[in-house]
Amino acid sequence: MSAHTPTSARTWRFYLGGFALLMVFDTLVQVSFKLTGTHAFPPEASWAWVLRIVGHPWIYIALIGYIGSFFTWMSLLKYAPIGPAFAATHLDVVSVMLASAWIFHEALTPVRLLGAGVIMLGILCLALAESGAHPEHDAPTEAKGALGVMAGD
Amino acid sequence: MSALIATLWLINVSLDTGGQLAFKAAASDPRAGDGIARWRYMASRPWLWLGLLAYALHLLSWIAFLSLVDLSKGILLASINMVAIMIAGRLLFREKLSPLRVVGILLVSAGVAIVGASG
Repeated sequence: MSAHTPTSARTWRFYLGGFALLMVFDTLVQVSFKLTGTHAFPPEASWAWVLRIVGHPWIYIALIGYIGSFFTWMSLLKYAPIGPAFAATHLDVVSVMLASAWIFHEALTPVRLLGAGVIMLGILCLALAESGAHPEHDAPTEAKGALGVMAGD
Repeated sequence: MSALIATLWLINVSLDTGGQLAFKAAASDPRAGDGIARWRYMASRPWLWLGLLAYALHLLSWIAFLSLVDLSKGILLASINMVAIMIAGRLLFREKLSPLRVVGILLVSAGVAIVGASG
């Protein structure tokens, strides 16, 4: 994995486009999981529940989104520095919350917004802690998992 | 949080962490080699399969969890997974926890506690 430094405007557009696409896929996955759970309700430790899950299209849409997210990652991985990349994998918290309010009419209560703000600050610290780390050598397991390092050698 | 939701949350964190650690164990085996041979070696050892099993079960526990809580709340509570995985990486693979990483872990945990305590 080579560590390229972003220089041109073209590179930045590639990053931004890639991360935006990743966020769209991640949000699609979570919204589809929520819809899967709603359709299969109530959750039970039984095959009947698993059959209800696989009997609706949402789980397949979630899996398609998951595959899309994975390949977007693998493409970004070649160039993106690990710090910002780490942050970007977890920034989907923001887009998923917005989608929840929009699609499911969930209340973004002050407590949730405060919690989200504190979590984002934490992610920012973790992202800064990763800058300069090389994924294959000293990045933590979490960052490697998020980056799909396992799948690409 | 009700007892069922809290239990599902704990199962979810455990399976996500277990799966990531299994993948890490599979991928970091120096005997694995390169290219196709590397994948064949990993497929012949249990770690990759344990990781995939943990992920499949994680998927089910996550769907069960999400059917009981709002998505906007669930996604915030799931942020604890990255903390659990970092701490597990520290304990099992002796990964470094720099001061900034510790601050990040504390902030994410505090944010999750704020959301979790709100009922």
